[in-house]
Amino acid sequence: MNGILNFISRIGQLDRRWIFLIIALVVLIPLFFPLGLPIRATESTRLVWETVENLEPESKVLLSLEYGPSTKPELHPMVFALVRHLLKNDHKIYMTCLWPDGQFMAEDLIEKVIELEFPDKSYGEDYVLLGFRPGGEAVIKGIVSNIRKLYTVDARNLSVDEIPMMEAVNQFKDFDFLFSASAGFPGTVEWVQYASDPTGVPMSTGTTSIQVNEVMPYVQGGQVKGILAGMPGAAEYEALIGVPGIGTSGMDAQSIAHVVIVLFIIFGNVAYFVERKKAKKY
Amino acid sequence: MFWKRTIPIAIVATVGFLTLFGWFVDEPHIKNFVEDDATQWYDILASFAIFLGALNLLKMQSQKILKKQTGWQYSIFAVGGFIFAIIAGFVIKGNDAIQWGAHVTGKGTLFKWMFEFMFTPLSATMFALLAFFVASASYRAFRIRNFEATLLLISGIIIMLGRVPIGIKISAWFVLYLTILGIGVVVNNAFKNKQITLGFVVGGLLLTTIAGFWMGWPVDQPALFYLPILQDWIYNIPNVAGGRAIMMGIGLGIFATSMRYILGIEKSYIGE
Amino acid sequence: MSGEILGAWIAVFLTLAIFSYLYKDNAFYKIAEHIFVGISAGYWTSMFFWTQIQPNLFGRLWPSKQYDADSFWYGIYDALSWINTSIFPAGGIDKGHEMHLIYLLPFALGIMMLLSVFDKLSWFARWGIAYTVGMAAGLRAYGYLNSNVIAQVRNSTLNFSDPDLPFFALIGNSYFNSILLLVGTISGLLYFYFSKEQKGVFGKVARVGIYFLMVSFGASFGFAVMGRISLLIGRFVDLITYNDAYYHHATIWVLILMVLALGYSAFKEKGSPKPS
Repeated sequence: MNGILNFISRIGQLDRRWIFLIIALVVLIPLFFPLGLPIRATESTRLVWETVENLEPESKVLLSLEYGPSTKPELHPMVFALVRHLLKNDHKIYMTCLWPDGQFMAEDLIEKVIELEFPDKSYGEDYVLLGFRPGGEAVIKGIVSNIRKLYTVDARNLSVDEIPMMEAVNQFKDFDFLFSASAGFPGTVEWVQYASDPTGVPMSTGTTSIQVNEVMPYVQGGQVKGILAGMPGAAEYEALIGVPGIGTSGMDAQSIAHVVIVLFIIFGNVAYFVERKKAKKY
Repeated sequence: MFWKRTIPIAIVATVGFLTLFGWFVDEPHIKNFVEDDATQWYDILASFAIFLGALNLLKMQSQKILKKQTGWQYSIFAVGGFIFAIIAGFVIKGNDAIQWGAHVTGKGTLFKWMFEFMFTPLSATMFALLAFFVASASYRAFRIRNFEATLLLISGIIIMLGRVPIGIKISAWFVLYLTILGIGVVVNNAFKNKQITLGFVVGGLLLTTIAGFWMGWPVDQPALFYLPILQDWIYNIPNVAGGRAIMMGIGLGIFATSMRYILGIEKSYIGE
Repeated sequence: MSGEILGAWIAVFLTLAIFSYLYKDNAFYKIAEHIFVGISAGYWTSMFFWTQIQPNLFGRLWPSKQYDADSFWYGIYDALSWINTSIFPAGGIDKGHEMHLIYLLPFALGIMMLLSVFDKLSWFARWGIAYTVGMAAGLRAYGYLNSNVIAQVRNSTLNFSDPDLPFFALIGNSYFNSILLLVGTISGLLYFYFSKEQKGVFGKVARVGIYFLMVSFGASFGFAVMGRISLLIGRFVDLITYNDAYYHHATIWVLILMVLALGYSAFKEKGSPKPS
């Protein structure tokens, strides 16, 4: 018995580099050998899906991209899935970016999803990239009051007046739905405070896992219709639309890593109690 | 003192009052200033603050190189990286079809190349490093020292397991058995009587087993102990309650601090 | 194509150099860290200049709409254009703005900010900082009060008007859930009230508030772990992509070279005598 307790106590002092190695292996191996674990959508993801599914035909959807390369693995997959869902239902997508990096993400989205999977959709008629405008909240307030003052040209330098799908779109109230893919400031919170709340235009959001708790009170209060929480949220949305993507492929690794971290917590505490018992004894 | 202290305080008070009352005043010039110009000025000044930061960085790293302080060789890489980024931003476009200005977001430019193959891997990897440290902290620092820490731990574990696909595979009966054992520990601490503890634990496990056989051991029943459903409830109710309290506290705090700045009570921005 | 392959090798080197910190602090990590600092500063400088200063500031001081080659003001612009045509293209800056000479104010404040890099003029930055502080204070005060306080109070109210609402439900609304939300919010708020000593009934309510806050912090911890692991998965996916034959197996080659270099360095350190 003493031998086991001593062993547990020694393992409790394990060099952290072994922990790093275990985590690296635990994340890497499922990427090569997927387990195919089933994905079950949570209520908050389902609410986003239902909101999009119940949009009137040919709704005007404002998609705002506020994330960069450091949070791309969490948000890019959900944006891919959402755009697939919107275009499958023939809605019109207006893309804007509150972060400069967001424009790179939007270009990537157009290249890898819209142009590749929906070649029948045309730029300017089914989707448009309005682009990045600096100013944070000023941009949101500009879109709310007069979008044409803010965007005289789109990201490809085309005059907004000459883009067919911009006809009858002059302010935020002319949109039917807003989706904000946000990694921080400015992002979801600012859209709620300055656009959705004052005008009543419904919105949903996708955020990084870290930001979820900050936004949850808005979701619970109905100010935001559902939330896609990080990569798991993206995987759930992919499962709902029936098109697995990058989000789904990372879920096995995510699951195993979580189990290992929970085991680390449990084992760490067992070692702690053993140490405490030994200290009391002596 | 007038230029260094009085003027900044007057600027904060004037601009603060103007922006605050711009929400409530319907005068077009004030509204236009508050909604458009004031925020544009803010962003222009934020840009100059970035330039100031870059200048300071260049100054410090250059001093380190010239005075040959410890680690000066690495400062060469910092200065070199900065110069390369400035060249990509202002000197070499790399794609003549794109105008200056649009080149920072356009395809095929040197700036885009730098963003994709240098800035993105560096910033993404710096964040990804944290995954290892979170795991290490979970093992070495996360300790159940009291009831509050236990609550935090249990809530975290339920969310971590319930939100990922593997949570679907964990049977509700397994969680129920663990719950009975956990309550057994509480009963033992409360009554400090081995017979009561044993009676409770054995009775609980026996009842659970009988119920399991009777119901056919469905994975997702009883729903209260099925991790995906339990985490959804925790996520939507007690978690939001705590989060809402923090949010309201922050909101009130921000309002109070904003008033202090506008009224000139708080002067930390001038070092007082 | 060769630019893409070169870029892939550089990306792999930088990624693995940062990860090498997990073994121990070493030269590869320090090089990558310093490159990151320099590139970030240059990247954000360029980005903010071209997306803010050039279009929004210079574009409002010298808009192409009101270009007049004979005026003194545009004479200054033509001189600047002669120095650098990329920032000041011929004929004014065409970003759809009208001339607003009032933007000379933020320009002046910005120049003062830059001059504060000299120690004797360090107080120059205070005016610009004062503007940003005042602006932020006025703007945020309303937004946070409206959406974070008033809206949250409204969302915490109990709804007794719906007869179909169940007493308890794990999924969806119920009376129990609404009451628990209200109790949790109020007790959590009371915990943050430090003007009265937390004892007696008040202390017990604050204690309940702490429990709700701990559940919230635990959930935040869970989400933090989730987020970090997702980012790590993203990096590994990129490394696997760059290990493809198209990129000449960049990942495995850079990894081998780095491991050999670090191993050699560790061997040398072990072998060399420590100074007494």
